[in-house]
Amino acid sequence: MGTDRHEKFRHMIDQTLAGGIPVPQQQALREHLQSCVPCQQYRAANHRVVAALGGFSFEVDPSLNAKVSAKLQLQERQIKERGDQATRAGRRRWVVSCVLALMLTTAGAFLDLRLSGLIASVFDLERMHLRQEVVAFWIMPSLCLFLLFPLLPLLSAGGTNRKERNL
Amino acid sequence: MTLTAGVDSDARQIALGLRQRDLSLLDALVERYQYRLVRYLIYVLGRRDLVDDLVQETWLRVLERGSSYDGRSRFEPWLFAIARNLAIDHLRGRRVVSLDTNDDEKREGLREGPASDAPSPFALAARTEDAQALAHSLQTLEPNYREALVLRFQEELSLQEISVVTGAPVSTISSRIHRGLDMLRSQLEGGSHGNR
Repeated sequence: MGTDRHEKFRHMIDQTLAGGIPVPQQQALREHLQSCVPCQQYRAANHRVVAALGGFSFEVDPSLNAKVSAKLQLQERQIKERGDQATRAGRRRWVVSCVLALMLTTAGAFLDLRLSGLIASVFDLERMHLRQEVVAFWIMPSLCLFLLFPLLPLLSAGGTNRKERNL
Repeated sequence: MTLTAGVDSDARQIALGLRQRDLSLLDALVERYQYRLVRYLIYVLGRRDLVDDLVQETWLRVLERGSSYDGRSRFEPWLFAIARNLAIDHLRGRRVVSLDTNDDEKREGLREGPASDAPSPFALAARTEDAQALAHSLQTLEPNYREALVLRFQEELSLQEISVVTGAPVSTISSRIHRGLDMLRSQLEGGSHGNR
């Protein structure tokens, strides 16, 4: 039997250990191993190496788990604190935005009700058109913003919950 | 949260717990994987002195980046990939490197072997005659080969999973296992002939 043929089967033996070989090759290898002593020895030597790799037992510092656990708790606290700070800052921004939107809406309404006649006469405009434009381009947008801001945190929380449910 | 059997549900449970940063789940994971993580890092680094620090950093990274584990594959490859990246960063003296960076050079290899006067961790850990015979060869073996061998034969990861951990193609992993076995086999055969 040629060396090449042995090489081929030895490669198959290695592949079997590394990750497996297709069924037809397994059958051919089994048949070859029944009659080939050098390849049997080769396979036994490989198995011996693999078994030897299991003959190491590394010592682990018994306090390592406790150290890791303590560090994890500390890290978690820090992450939470950072998160809380970010939430507080976000909430402040949200309140300021809501107040600004409300002030804009109020100012628009005041202009519409009290000053539209005066402005219309000064600039020679039709009062009704001016009032319509103030409502369409000032009061409605700022009112929408005022109503939308409180919903943003709810929408964001809903998205996070959906992601977790999908897991 | 406790861990139950069943790979699929187990992975999903871990993913959910990590997303919620559940510390009791993390404690259970530390308990379950600590020895394997230590062993993996010893094989990767070929030294013992850095391992404890890296183990701690690995778990902190798991807590920090837990939400990036989706639970669709086993937890071990994800964990070992984190440990590997930290080990490489450590060897290169870079303390902070994003795991999200796709740095080919970094992913490719552990070429910078350790230079330490400390006794070989393999010699200290060898419990059988054959393991003692292999200890020196393992110490001098290229880290990429050692890594492939421990992931395949100790961790029993598939070639695809090892490929995920190392970022190397499956064919490269297969060849590393083949060459690693080859070197260790010749050492073992040479050693046993010498003993006889």
